[in-house]
Amino acid sequence: MPDTSPTLAAERVQRHAAVDRVFHWIVALAVLTLLATGLLPVAGVKFSWVTIHWITGVVLALAVVFHLIRATFWQRLRCVWIGLKDLRNALAHRRAAKYSLAQKLMHNGMTGVILTLVITGLCMLAKVETPWWKRNPYFFAADTWGVVYVLHGAAALLTVTLVMIHVYFALLPEKRVYLRAMWRGWDTPSEFAVYHDPARWPGSGGERR
Amino acid sequence: MDFVRFSTDAWGQRVLEGISWDLLPVAIGLGALVIVVHAIYRAVRKRRAS
Repeated sequence: MPDTSPTLAAERVQRHAAVDRVFHWIVALAVLTLLATGLLPVAGVKFSWVTIHWITGVVLALAVVFHLIRATFWQRLRCVWIGLKDLRNALAHRRAAKYSLAQKLMHNGMTGVILTLVITGLCMLAKVETPWWKRNPYFFAADTWGVVYVLHGAAALLTVTLVMIHVYFALLPEKRVYLRAMWRGWDTPSEFAVYHDPARWPGSGGERR
Repeated sequence: MDFVRFSTDAWGQRVLEGISWDLLPVAIGLGALVIVVHAIYRAVRKRRAS
């Protein structure tokens, strides 16, 4: 059971709010489910995958819309913006603000592929029979469907690569503080002192430039 | 290796079908390559530091 005594709580630096952690793990579960249901049939594992794939895709789309709204209006987008200062700091091995350059690159790469997957996936829902609408394979011309499928497939393959790299770095012993922060929300002050520049990120909320 | 797949429609025209699934091992291999290269870099740095 987590210790929530006032003394210990005061010694912790809040890194991720509960709502952001829930979002992260919903997206993780959805992406793994979508990769499994989308790519296992390609690898020869035959099963009825379409229903679970599109329902999970809708869950992912709703989570992404929620996060876009929250990140735009309640958080600071500059936290994930990559500027020259990030490159200079990384090259000089200086401490990061809230997120390191590598974390920003991973976040922005994932954002690109997941937005592509969600947009093309929502287009592909037109071809799926659901309780709310009849399938319409002629919603787009054949050539347009081809482009939609190529973008969806390319983004899915890039997601495989990015997920592998993301999980590898999350499990490295020296990076497990970030994994714990994504699970429980906090860093200790000593971890904060090692990884973060208090002048650029005071320890809660968004970062300063 | 092809990057995309094509099929032929009812009128005999070539239609873009999607990404080539031959690229799936390439995507997995790319992820594995990054991991292996970083693991080697990390081990070398650790050895130099000790």
